[in-house]
Amino acid sequence: MIKTIQLLLLLLLLSTTANASGTKPTLTIYTYDSFTASWGAAPKIKEAFEKLHYCNVKFVGVSSAIGALRKIQLEGKNTKADILLGLDTSIAQVANKTGLFAKHELNTSKLVLPVTYSDENFVPYDYSYFAFVYDEEKLKNPPLSLEALASMPKDFKIIMQDPRSSTVGLGLLLWVKSVYGTKAGEYWKKLSPHILTITKGWSEAYGLFLRGEADMVLSYTTSPAYHMIEEHKYNFKTANFPKGHYGQVEVAAILKSSKNQALAKKFLTFMHSETFANIIPTTNWAYPIVKTKKGLPTAFEKLNIPSKMLLIDGKEVERNRKKIVNEWLEALGR
Amino acid sequence: MLKISHLEFTHKDAKHSYTYTMNLEEKEIVGILGESGSGKSTFLDLVAGFSTSSSGSIELDTQVLTQMSVEKRPITILFQSHNLFEHLTVQKNVLLGVSKVLKENIEDVNKVQGILKEVGLEEYEHTQVSKLSGGQQQRVALARVLIRREPILLLDEPFSGLDIATRLEMLDLVQTITIENKIHTIMVTHDIEDCKRIANHVYKMQNNTLVEQ
Amino acid sequence: MFKNYQRIKFSLLPGTLISLTLLTFAFVLFYTLYTSQENLVFTQIEPRVWLLLKFTVYQAFLSTLFSLVVGMLLAWSLAHQAKFRGRSWLVALFSSSLVLPTLIVVFGLITVLGRNGWVNQVSLYLFDYSFGAYLYGLGGILVAHVYLNASFASRSLLHSFESIPKEKYKLAKSLNFTTFQRFMYVEWPVLKPTLLSIASTIFLLCFTSFAIVLVLGGSPAYNTLEVAIYEAVKLDFDIAMALKLALIQLGLTTLLVVFSANFRTHISNLKTATQAIAWEEKREVKYLQRGIIFLFTLFFILPLFAIVVDGLGADFSKILQEKLFIKSFFTSMGLATLSSIITLLFAILLSDAKRNLSLRYRLEDLPFSKLFNIVLSFSGNLYLAIPSLIMGLGFFLLSQRYEAPLALWSTVALLTANVLMSLPFAQSVLAPAMQRTAQRYDRLVFSLNLTKIQRWVYVEYPYLKSSLGYVFALAFCFSLGDLGMIALFGSDEFSTLPWYLYQLMGSYRSSDASGVALILLVITLSAFIFLPKLFGGNHVKD
Repeated sequence: MIKTIQLLLLLLLLSTTANASGTKPTLTIYTYDSFTASWGAAPKIKEAFEKLHYCNVKFVGVSSAIGALRKIQLEGKNTKADILLGLDTSIAQVANKTGLFAKHELNTSKLVLPVTYSDENFVPYDYSYFAFVYDEEKLKNPPLSLEALASMPKDFKIIMQDPRSSTVGLGLLLWVKSVYGTKAGEYWKKLSPHILTITKGWSEAYGLFLRGEADMVLSYTTSPAYHMIEEHKYNFKTANFPKGHYGQVEVAAILKSSKNQALAKKFLTFMHSETFANIIPTTNWAYPIVKTKKGLPTAFEKLNIPSKMLLIDGKEVERNRKKIVNEWLEALGR
Repeated sequence: MLKISHLEFTHKDAKHSYTYTMNLEEKEIVGILGESGSGKSTFLDLVAGFSTSSSGSIELDTQVLTQMSVEKRPITILFQSHNLFEHLTVQKNVLLGVSKVLKENIEDVNKVQGILKEVGLEEYEHTQVSKLSGGQQQRVALARVLIRREPILLLDEPFSGLDIATRLEMLDLVQTITIENKIHTIMVTHDIEDCKRIANHVYKMQNNTLVEQ
Repeated sequence: MFKNYQRIKFSLLPGTLISLTLLTFAFVLFYTLYTSQENLVFTQIEPRVWLLLKFTVYQAFLSTLFSLVVGMLLAWSLAHQAKFRGRSWLVALFSSSLVLPTLIVVFGLITVLGRNGWVNQVSLYLFDYSFGAYLYGLGGILVAHVYLNASFASRSLLHSFESIPKEKYKLAKSLNFTTFQRFMYVEWPVLKPTLLSIASTIFLLCFTSFAIVLVLGGSPAYNTLEVAIYEAVKLDFDIAMALKLALIQLGLTTLLVVFSANFRTHISNLKTATQAIAWEEKREVKYLQRGIIFLFTLFFILPLFAIVVDGLGADFSKILQEKLFIKSFFTSMGLATLSSIITLLFAILLSDAKRNLSLRYRLEDLPFSKLFNIVLSFSGNLYLAIPSLIMGLGFFLLSQRYEAPLALWSTVALLTANVLMSLPFAQSVLAPAMQRTAQRYDRLVFSLNLTKIQRWVYVEYPYLKSSLGYVFALAFCFSLGDLGMIALFGSDEFSTLPWYLYQLMGSYRSSDASGVALILLVITLSAFIFLPKLFGGNHVKD
């Protein structure tokens, strides 16, 4: 027991000394964990931004973007976060309702986005499309629309994520909603025999898919780029649905309670720089919202680009989210 | 006559082996004395068939038992403890000596009633065994010996856990049963008094060999 | 005797204090959650939640039933097939199922039994037939639960089988019992009490099962109450609802803990018997028993083997150089060591207080000793019933209220969670063992007037060391594999191996993930096998 206490005291001491290093301002950014991983975008962004501005950038990774928001809510006024980064437009509205976020006052009209998005508080920094990924060597004739997906033979299986715990899962629900409207429930009934399993998060779903458990998995159009660039595997493809794919625009916002408002605003501006745009594709595996001289990595040219990005307005999503999820639950056998 | 000739048992470590020879008429009781670990219990295991001997023979009158499997040998065995199924009634415990079917037939049930009277347990027919005293429990075990009517009875220190009065009573009961049912009884014990009271012959383990005293 | 009485009375204090701390802590957790929202509105529980509850009970019931049946068959076979090479090794391996990291096991099972698993591939190759996706849905949940719990049940049941006096078998044999009668009259009465208490443990474990249900459940129709709590906290941020659900779960499981008459898991580390049962099995029975052992061994080992096969493909030189891996490794090992030391200490003190109160010649005649004893057991077992998410949330709110560096809070939270998680198991191993030493040696110890230290050195330690080693290993492995609390506190600065593994899985790095999974599996198994040896070799015979 004494040893425990000693160790705890030691930890306490170490962490307080670490915090007291100089008067350099520290910009604290809460985000999801795959962003902060050593192979993620955060380390490079930190380095680039610290070169430009005299400060420390501290990324705090939480298990999901929603988790990061919840953490800020739990911390309330005492939160150390200056910026929340990583929500998508469907959930940003939830964050807006908390009243914790400040207006950004940036001009976002020049950003390259397949849809128009403007919000007083949240600024986009990258986007991607949801898509069903498959292995070309195993699946010769992939379904080419939501309709075709639900009409595949009986033993055709897909994996999706639970919309109650994963933004990817929620994305598919909204996708189906924006294509089928009031008939979404019927669609889910038709699709449900093809759903092998519904996982808590993206990682379990993708892991099962890579083990060959399902023919397709709900992921992003950019997923094959990872396999091409990091693993030199070219057999992973996404099915292109002509009516368009539901999109995910990732956004960030400054907290009202932040003591580094000016620095935080500089970071939001930095998100729209070429430097930032060059980091995003191969670390966060998404499209940047600024055209750069360097352009996208060549592997990205091989990716399917959907004809249209479907996106339901955030306010509408927030109004109907419970209803949409319940509709899905009912169709799947409640 | 029970004739056991040069029955030999070699221990697993192959370093020492025991040899047993003994003759026994019906209605007779043999007492076997010896230190613990001297090979007394091994003898009972051999006679009962739980262990196999490397040489020698066991014969009952004209019947050769040496190669017979345990359940076919005409033997009833009684241990110091664990002779009964504590969660069952007295009646069921005795019945298990003859009938393995779950449903009792009336003939057997009547027989059990008679035998329980003999051992003085008629009031306890439907009592669970775990509720009886140690002496009463051994009586139930003896009742089972009676119902089985097997010509050989092996006793492995059956009464050493009981108080003196009960023990003497039990020994007398064994003697009565042996004589009335024409049984060959072999009793392993560490108490010479037991032998003095009822044994017709006394054997002892000496240098790994069974020797008559 | 009066002096002893005083001495014992005083020794109640530490155990009681710990027990009170545990209870207070549970209360503080709930109270913190309750007061965290300024105006807590208790929203109506949706009818969906009741359906979830119904399913949770249903799947837990079925899982328990199947685990017991399979565990019983396995234990029966092992008890009667006492002589084959590798038996003791196999039995030790089976008992490790309790501490294997669930997420890893699930992926191992999928590699073997999944839609594209080995079984289906072999069958497709040989008979051109695939069994399809049978592993998902209720079936999958049951398979995984049976995998983890049947082997655990078989270990405890085997111990019961071996406690049956050999005379009983001789008697049954000479009375010419059939195999069935032998089971009914000789074995069943001994197994029944063990079975009941294992059943309640397995039921609790399955009731609160989370990772398995989420990956293999298939459809939201097969979700458990824990999932609903997760939803309430994470997505809806409806803390009132989460509290309500947690209380429902707590209420139900508490009922179970109380009514299963003193939660006892019957887990034990006792060596398997060397003396075989003198009963040459009939040929058919022998083949049946060997078949059961063979099939279950295959079922148990293949998924572990799959993890090894998956993992060997990874680039270990890269993994081992990764800074975050090294950090996670040391954090995990440090936490596991600390939490197993604390668990051991707590379990000893609680069990000591417990035996003082339940032994006649100690303090059993103290007023309220029975009630006191129930409170002691309850406080140790309480945390089996509190969802880790609720515990994590409570900790998080506490960390907000009382400011300290995150690393400190994370350490405290993880340590607490791990200790609380291991304590019920630790106590169930130690309490009966310590009770027995007291029963056996108290008179001697008191008459020689040994001091507490002498008592420990000469009596308790030699007798208990194998149990202590086992408890230590158990707590160590539990802590090593935990992915509950860390999900809320984990970050790049504070990461454990399972957390790191989960992060790798979440970033396309499946090959690295397999490698880390293998490392975690190897560490867990070796800790489970070798740690008990630290406490000294030979076990003092019962």
